[in-house]
Amino acid sequence: MPYNIAMISDNFFPQPGGVESHMYQLSSKLIDRGHKVIIITHAYSGRTGVRYLTNGLKVYHVPFFVIYRETTFPTVFSFFPIFRNIVIREQIEIVHGHASLSSLCHEAILHARTMGLRTVFTDHSLFGFADAASILTNKLLKFTLSDVDHVICVSHTCKENTVLRASLDPLMVSVIPNAVVAENFRPLSHTSSHSSHHRDAPGPPPRLGPHDTITIVVISRLFYNKGTDLLIAALPRILACNPNVRFIIAGTGPKAIDLEQMIERNVLQDRVTLLGPVRHEEVRDVMVRGHIYLHPSLTEAFGTVIVEAASCGLYVVCTRVGGIPEVLPRHMTEFAKPEEDDIVAATGRAIAALRAGKVRTELFHNQVKQMYSWTDVAQRTERVYDGISGVLSHDEFYQGAGAGGGWSATRGRAGVQSFALIERLKRYYGCGIWAGKLFCLCVIVDYLLFVCLEIFAPRSRIDLARNWPKKDFKDAKDKEVDGTKEGPVIGRKRSARHRREKREDSS
Amino acid sequence: MLSLLQRLTSPPSQTLTTLQPTPSTISFTVSTRPVPKTLLALFTYYLSILVRILAGTLALITLWAKWRASSGKHTVLLSMFLGRVAEAWIVKLVETLPWRYLAPVALTVIWRVGRRGYTEESLLIIRSLGLQTSTSSSTYLTTSSTRFIPTTSIQDIFIHEAFKGFEVRFYLSIVVKGEGDVVVVFPSLLPRREILEEVWRGARAGLWEVGGSGGARGKT
Repeated sequence: MPYNIAMISDNFFPQPGGVESHMYQLSSKLIDRGHKVIIITHAYSGRTGVRYLTNGLKVYHVPFFVIYRETTFPTVFSFFPIFRNIVIREQIEIVHGHASLSSLCHEAILHARTMGLRTVFTDHSLFGFADAASILTNKLLKFTLSDVDHVICVSHTCKENTVLRASLDPLMVSVIPNAVVAENFRPLSHTSSHSSHHRDAPGPPPRLGPHDTITIVVISRLFYNKGTDLLIAALPRILACNPNVRFIIAGTGPKAIDLEQMIERNVLQDRVTLLGPVRHEEVRDVMVRGHIYLHPSLTEAFGTVIVEAASCGLYVVCTRVGGIPEVLPRHMTEFAKPEEDDIVAATGRAIAALRAGKVRTELFHNQVKQMYSWTDVAQRTERVYDGISGVLSHDEFYQGAGAGGGWSATRGRAGVQSFALIERLKRYYGCGIWAGKLFCLCVIVDYLLFVCLEIFAPRSRIDLARNWPKKDFKDAKDKEVDGTKEGPVIGRKRSARHRREKREDSS
Repeated sequence: MLSLLQRLTSPPSQTLTTLQPTPSTISFTVSTRPVPKTLLALFTYYLSILVRILAGTLALITLWAKWRASSGKHTVLLSMFLGRVAEAWIVKLVETLPWRYLAPVALTVIWRVGRRGYTEESLLIIRSLGLQTSTSSSTYLTTSSTRFIPTTSIQDIFIHEAFKGFEVRFYLSIVVKGEGDVVVVFPSLLPRREILEEVWRGARAGLWEVGGSGGARGKT
């Protein structure tokens, strides 16, 4: 059953980042599966109005005031008229918000529920509980997520974090990881995925001698939370312990100056190369120059970059924080505690393992390709859509949990069934002693605004937009039907076969 | 109650008139002018024109007479048209009214009478010559603003969407060679999609003999 879906976030292209590419890839794969997807974001300089991207993906750059790091000013109600107009003209059924720091996304979810639409929220990041900013963000998140149909998190750690922050029922939170476009992250020796698979698989790994140079790559924005301080502390010690090791560091940020000072203090200019900012398309070209990827991040919900590094055939050294341990299997990674000594030790182990030829890095690419694909992500997201819009029955969607008719945890907390104002108010009221009343007030004002809009800007006065002409998706539809009948595990296997068939078609 | 509110707040309805005097000329006019259909409506329409003319003339005469009377000049012209009795009566009336009341009232009446009260925008296409867009002015006293674009500098004509106020509106626009901005057709009315699509098809057929009824469709 095709849906009309609106993806909403403050973060979208031309700004680079994980949320942006996640939204774009997911949307284009959902369009391939026959859905209609639009993206709503705010206007960037040079990107305004309504635009089309590849595959007929329509992007609305809503003109809004930007305050901090490309986030719009939270004006709770001013977005409603324009949002309602877009939703009506595009006949949207499901509103899917991304990123918990985006006020546009939170407002859209609130308005969508007022308008009686199904809502999904995807959380991409981890937050603390202790400082004032986190407490405020968490309260707002609780507000929005009090009345949302389903939540998607990118890793199990992220799920745990979100469930605690927004006091959700864990049942209504799904985990759907990010993916990478493996074709864009091929190792250097990889010419064609087909022939090399059979030729290289039994072949001997290229041994690195004890005196060959090993290059360690670091690509990250140089922020505190990305662990740049850890890197600055550990880097001279790694270089001192291991001769014939070089570093390539790409990325920029507030910590770039500290990094440069450290290099100058230790006179490491000939062994450390700083590349500055690199574009996302160039990341692969930087990665294939190295053998080891070092990821010293202090907090990470998923860590797409380590999947990309593994896909390029790099051995990954990373800190055991956040969702990182879930991302890659043991044989591709060397874990460290997020402290200086352990990172030095882990990097040493990784270098030794590479020199001993114990790690088959040339096999990583195909393994990653098997594990992560956007088609698979789109299929699993589609199942969430099916679940919240009632195509899948409640028991089937939640796999038997919360069954037994009558009251169930999901229905009681999230109330996916009811759009009634009084039911919604009950959910918001539980948010806190003062916050609950404040949130109720907001919801009531929002509802009154909705009624006013229905009178002064009635639906009959809004033109429906034409859909992008679609290709014929008949046989894709058939597959989708038996895909949904089987469980998610079988669906994944099917997706791999489906991809292979597609590749054969195109070649 | 709700429907009444909706009707009161709704913008005036727009009508599209297509004129094709010769096979190579076609004009599309979008107008908010109410078209009188019943006999009573027709009668009211002509009556309102008559009232407008009378009110305007009266205001002008009053202003003129006041000026002549206050500067101590004769008002023979009035007696020539209206007769001596009327002249004497008007002069007496005018002299009792001070300028500070008379002038604003008369000017308001003239301004009110001269206003058009509706907007009319048109697109005229002459094959192998070009097209002309025009927007009616807000008063009867000024001319409409027009823009002619020769065929050789028209690169494309398309329908797209943009944010306008709190909504997203469709607009028909023309890409002109050598200009950074597109020219929007019907810029003040911004008609609805059905009207725009009809005009778009007609314009493409008129300019390049393509489009027509089937085949090509709007990139909306």
